[in-house]
Amino acid sequence: MGTFFDIVNSSLLYMLVGTVIAVVIILSLLFAKKAWKRALELGYTTAQLKTVITSTIVATIVPSIAIVIGLFALAPLLGNPWPWLRLSVIGSVTYELMAADMAASSMGVALVDLPTVGIKAFVNIMFVMTVGISAGLLVLLFFGEKIQKGIGSMGKNKQSFGIVALECFMIGLLVTFMPAILTGGVVTTLTLFTSATITISMGLIVQKYKIYWLKDFILAFALFGGMASSVLWTGLFG
Amino acid sequence: MKTREEFAKEMSNLGRIGILIVLSMLFAVPTIFGLYLDALPTFGEFMKAASGILVLFVPLAISEVFIYAPILGSASYITFITGNIMNLKIPIAKNAQELMDTTNGSEQSDIITTLAISVSAIVTITMLSLGVLLLVPLKPIMTSATVMTASAYVLPALFGALTVGLLKSTGEIRVKGKIKAGVIPFILLFLVNIFVFNTYDYSGMLLIIMIPLTIFFAWILFKKKQITIEVVEKKES
Repeated sequence: MGTFFDIVNSSLLYMLVGTVIAVVIILSLLFAKKAWKRALELGYTTAQLKTVITSTIVATIVPSIAIVIGLFALAPLLGNPWPWLRLSVIGSVTYELMAADMAASSMGVALVDLPTVGIKAFVNIMFVMTVGISAGLLVLLFFGEKIQKGIGSMGKNKQSFGIVALECFMIGLLVTFMPAILTGGVVTTLTLFTSATITISMGLIVQKYKIYWLKDFILAFALFGGMASSVLWTGLFG
Repeated sequence: MKTREEFAKEMSNLGRIGILIVLSMLFAVPTIFGLYLDALPTFGEFMKAASGILVLFVPLAISEVFIYAPILGSASYITFITGNIMNLKIPIAKNAQELMDTTNGSEQSDIITTLAISVSAIVTITMLSLGVLLLVPLKPIMTSATVMTASAYVLPALFGALTVGLLKSTGEIRVKGKIKAGVIPFILLFLVNIFVFNTYDYSGMLLIIMIPLTIFFAWILFKKKQITIEVVEKKES
């Protein structure tokens, strides 16, 4: 048997992880195919759907870089395949490191010392990280259809409070995150304003000069511009 | 053509089968790996390591379903299977809904969101897979100060872009005055952030309180006719 990192980077784990990821890609393709066909039935044109896909791909790349960086943060502690799985399926870049750290400290080990305590602790962490993040999927498994029906009926009566409630979920998200962001330091606040300014400016350019294709890339530009500006703001005020 | 209900049932079945398969496979990975290495933890060892996470994250993971499902509709299945919800999938969903000018809760919104989220998931997985393949050559770039700094500010950048989109409704329904519902919850949390502590790291947990609170104020304002619904002629996009 090799060192800790030989084991956690073994071909067996790569194979197991690769199989799960392949299944998730197939599932995503199945969902995309069904949605595409249904959208055509509902009257959308192929050109409109291609616009959605192009805009989504471009807008996904920038935040995905942050997720890949999460992989680079986790790999020196947990090897490559396990973080690859955790960040590709259910997980989130913010949850995984915290969950691994909490599981390790509950066993009385610092995460950085994991290689010294043996592979059993690593397997235990694999289980703990999986259990912690799976609860949401179990709720969807058992109650997903009921929730769906509820949302459908909320949106049905166009004069009912259900419509207002649906719109207010996003407002609720904003009021939860915004106070912390606005008071979280100069760089955080300026990054937010840069991204908002780019969004507004590009929206105005689209309207004024009728460059409608540009609309598909507003989110991507705002994200890239906002994140790039954070480097400048950190240099100036950080 | 299938009715909305028939199609929703089909998506729901696919989602549930997908969840069953993915969950079984996820637990199979540590089980097979542990069995092969003769390193399976005992139940006691597992509980010792898991207790903190179970207490903290299980209620959070459950509440996330109720928080995000109304925004995601039938795209919830593929969203929750592929994760990275707040930091990626919600902005992608809102972007697609805005592009196609769909109405919240409508089938059109559901379908466009499902298409966008599925594509987004494939892109992220591809990028992560490239990250694993190119771990060594990419390391100096990905761990450089510039990239690390920029990636630490992904959420403020996302919220800057999202906020602007939220000020306007999409689709055939305009909920006028909806921002008012968030005013008091915003002020309350703003004061907590100034005088007590920065709540950034606790945002996930706070959602469980803040979203019902916002909806409660929306209900009061709706009753007082401070929030109204207007059905408008949908423009051709």
